[in-house]
Amino acid sequence: MSITIQNVTKRFSRFPALDNVSIEIASGELIALLGPSGSGKTTLLRIIAGLEFPDDGGSIQFNGHDVSRLSAYKRKAGFVFQHYALFAHMNVLENIVFALRVMPRRMRPTEDAIRTRAKELLEAVQLTGFERRMPSQLSGGQRQRVAFARALAIEPAVLLLDEPFGALDARVRKDLRRWLRAFHERIKLTTIFVTHDQDEAFEVADRVVLIDKGVIQQIGAPADVRAAPANAFVSNFLDIPPRV
Amino acid sequence: MAGASSIQLHRHGSPRRATAESPVAKAILIAITLVFFALFLFLPLVVVFQEAFSKGLALFVRTFQDSYTQDAIKLTLLVAAIAVPLNTVFGLAAAWSLTRFRFTGRSFLVTLIDLPLWVSPVVGGLIYVLVFGAKGWFGPWLIDHNFRIIFAVPGIVLATVFVTFPFVARGLIPLMEAQGIKEEEAALTLGANGWQIFRRVTLPKIKWGLLYGVILCNARAMGEFGAVSVVSGHIRGKTNTMPLHIEILYNEYQFAAAFAVASLLALLALVTLFIKTYAEWRTEKQLLEAARDQHP
Amino acid sequence: MQERMGCNFVIAVSVSIESLSPHPMTSPSRPRKHALPGLGLTLGYSVVYLSLIVLVPFSALFLKTAAGGWEHFWGTITAPRVVASYWASFGISFFAAVVNGVFGVIAAWVLVRYRFPGRRILDAMVDLPFALPTAVAGIALTALYAPNDWIGTYLKPFGIQVAFTQLGIFVALTFIGLPFVVRTVQPVIQDLALEVEEAAACLGANRWHTFRRVILPTLLPSILTGVTLAYGRAVGEFGSVVFISGNLPFKTEITPLMIISKLEQYDYTGAAAIGFVMLVASFLILIVSNSLQSWHNRRLGIS
Repeated sequence: MSITIQNVTKRFSRFPALDNVSIEIASGELIALLGPSGSGKTTLLRIIAGLEFPDDGGSIQFNGHDVSRLSAYKRKAGFVFQHYALFAHMNVLENIVFALRVMPRRMRPTEDAIRTRAKELLEAVQLTGFERRMPSQLSGGQRQRVAFARALAIEPAVLLLDEPFGALDARVRKDLRRWLRAFHERIKLTTIFVTHDQDEAFEVADRVVLIDKGVIQQIGAPADVRAAPANAFVSNFLDIPPRV
Repeated sequence: MAGASSIQLHRHGSPRRATAESPVAKAILIAITLVFFALFLFLPLVVVFQEAFSKGLALFVRTFQDSYTQDAIKLTLLVAAIAVPLNTVFGLAAAWSLTRFRFTGRSFLVTLIDLPLWVSPVVGGLIYVLVFGAKGWFGPWLIDHNFRIIFAVPGIVLATVFVTFPFVARGLIPLMEAQGIKEEEAALTLGANGWQIFRRVTLPKIKWGLLYGVILCNARAMGEFGAVSVVSGHIRGKTNTMPLHIEILYNEYQFAAAFAVASLLALLALVTLFIKTYAEWRTEKQLLEAARDQHP
Repeated sequence: MQERMGCNFVIAVSVSIESLSPHPMTSPSRPRKHALPGLGLTLGYSVVYLSLIVLVPFSALFLKTAAGGWEHFWGTITAPRVVASYWASFGISFFAAVVNGVFGVIAAWVLVRYRFPGRRILDAMVDLPFALPTAVAGIALTALYAPNDWIGTYLKPFGIQVAFTQLGIFVALTFIGLPFVVRTVQPVIQDLALEVEEAAACLGANRWHTFRRVILPTLLPSILTGVTLAYGRAVGEFGSVVFISGNLPFKTEITPLMIISKLEQYDYTGAAAIGFVMLVASFLILIVSNSLQSWHNRRLGIS
């Protein structure tokens, strides 16, 4: 599903978190939003998800339809939160099938169908057998995978990841990074992830969007950006010596 | 916020040698505290039960067989049965709107919710007399329609609602504030609508804070004296709650009977304390977990 | 690991991807501000509830007071008997709150720092004045300190009478305010950084010095907050006091009682006038308490 972000501005106080941001994302792309903290990248992700709404004049379009004012629960954007936001009082199984359980009755699958789907998702994230565990009993990496499976249960048209690997240790991070890339190769689900780690962005993404202070600094494939940084911010942020 | 930052939350921490007082000082301080508590907390409680049985078990039982006493108990239960659910719904609504959203006027609303805790209960009763009493705003209208609020049960319910409405909200607001809205947002992205989010995600998280607020609300509702005294008219058998009945018995020098009824309320207070302590403990565990999850 | 996970995921997800098409989505035309639902409903309900229960009745208080006219107002609130009641309600409350301040800090310290049998029960009991109905407390304290009962008996030979005197009011108000200081100071003591006390010890301060110069200043905002809370509660207190006070005119009548007596005489404006004074007083105490609490929070943030 293609996503068009047009003239999105978002003000929380005097200074805009996002200032006239426009991006075109083709269906099936894996995009990284890269920038320092406070750059507005998480705000943009939340606006795409429907957890925030752009100020007047901006719009978000999914496949050409304007969804700017549509609330998150109608958008079918799978969202993985930075600290997973698992439902602490539900076990792994209940977390994963939550989306299926809250569907309107006429669309809701049968209990058997739900259970089968849950099994598939658990297998996919390699957590078979963990159905009854509570989130507090899981490691960071395991919680991460539950959060993934949960978001995928709704068969989302786009996957949004907010610093998905930020809270994990370096080795797990590397593994999961490679896994994400491989997963994306097979599924080609439009995916946008936020990170402040440039290695992560460059290793995983098809294209990288560099943001600073709410303004887009550069968009391009990793190799292109490396070869031709657009301005001083980009070169500094990526530690590329500026061209003369 | 000190609570969240000190993950080194050593509650009732381990003994600290380098910074401990001398045993003598310790003993004196403990003694002072014990005497203070005994004098101001324990003795009054002991007095209630002792005096209740001072004229024997027979009188104790007879007090509760008296129809006026039974009416008082029934009225107290009725008032609580109305006021507590009403205030619980309010507390939930207020807590939801105040902790999940930011809007102008928020702090004014929070201050308003605390109001009954600052105002004398007598003023709390007074305001309803001013509105509904014989010389109040709606007084003449009510008389014409033969509908009584003051000196009748509706007035008692109103006054009780006023003095007890902060409790549920105050039990929930800090808890819901600390827990954050990430789980609710996650539920939103997974397709849940408002009621589903509330029922499946929020309610299970806040149940101990809710219990805490409800139990305090109930204790205050059953025990309220000042506000109810103003609006009730003290009509035996009709507008007498248990605390008012205690007053009547006491003023008639039926001390043992007064204390007998009082002992029932004292028992309720002890049960309330017990449940409250437990609910508080569970809420704190949840807060600790929430703090830990924010900084994994 | 990656390959296997990816493979299964393909099976799980790709089938559903095929059937993907965005739902027919229509954007509502109203601009949205909040993603989470329910603001309108919950806020609306709360505001209506509060208006009916609080704002309307309180406006009656203001309007009735104003309607009576200035002279009536001033005459009522400065009547000698009423003024005498101010001392009982506002003056004695102050002493009670201060006493609670002193003993409350000690109690909070003991409950937090020391281990002894029964500590947990004691800790739970601190909230008793909060949970116990005021009328029950009232008659219990009266029985306790009446001249021929319980403690009253022991004090009689010394010529000390507690019940039906201002001392009795003091005792009742101390009871009422007990939890406030203890509960406000306890968490602050718990969060005291141990290293600071150890540093003081290393620098040669004994415990008393450490307490006076290091710990007490840190606790001060919370102590003051607790004292203010206790004071605010004591000022309005009725049920616990009205039994033990004996209600002797000009001596042990409390201001809320004045309101009731005005109502019994159907002098609504008079009652409203005194109620107004109490409201203003509560409001002032509330403002002081809020400022102290901001100070308290700012101090905690630094420490």
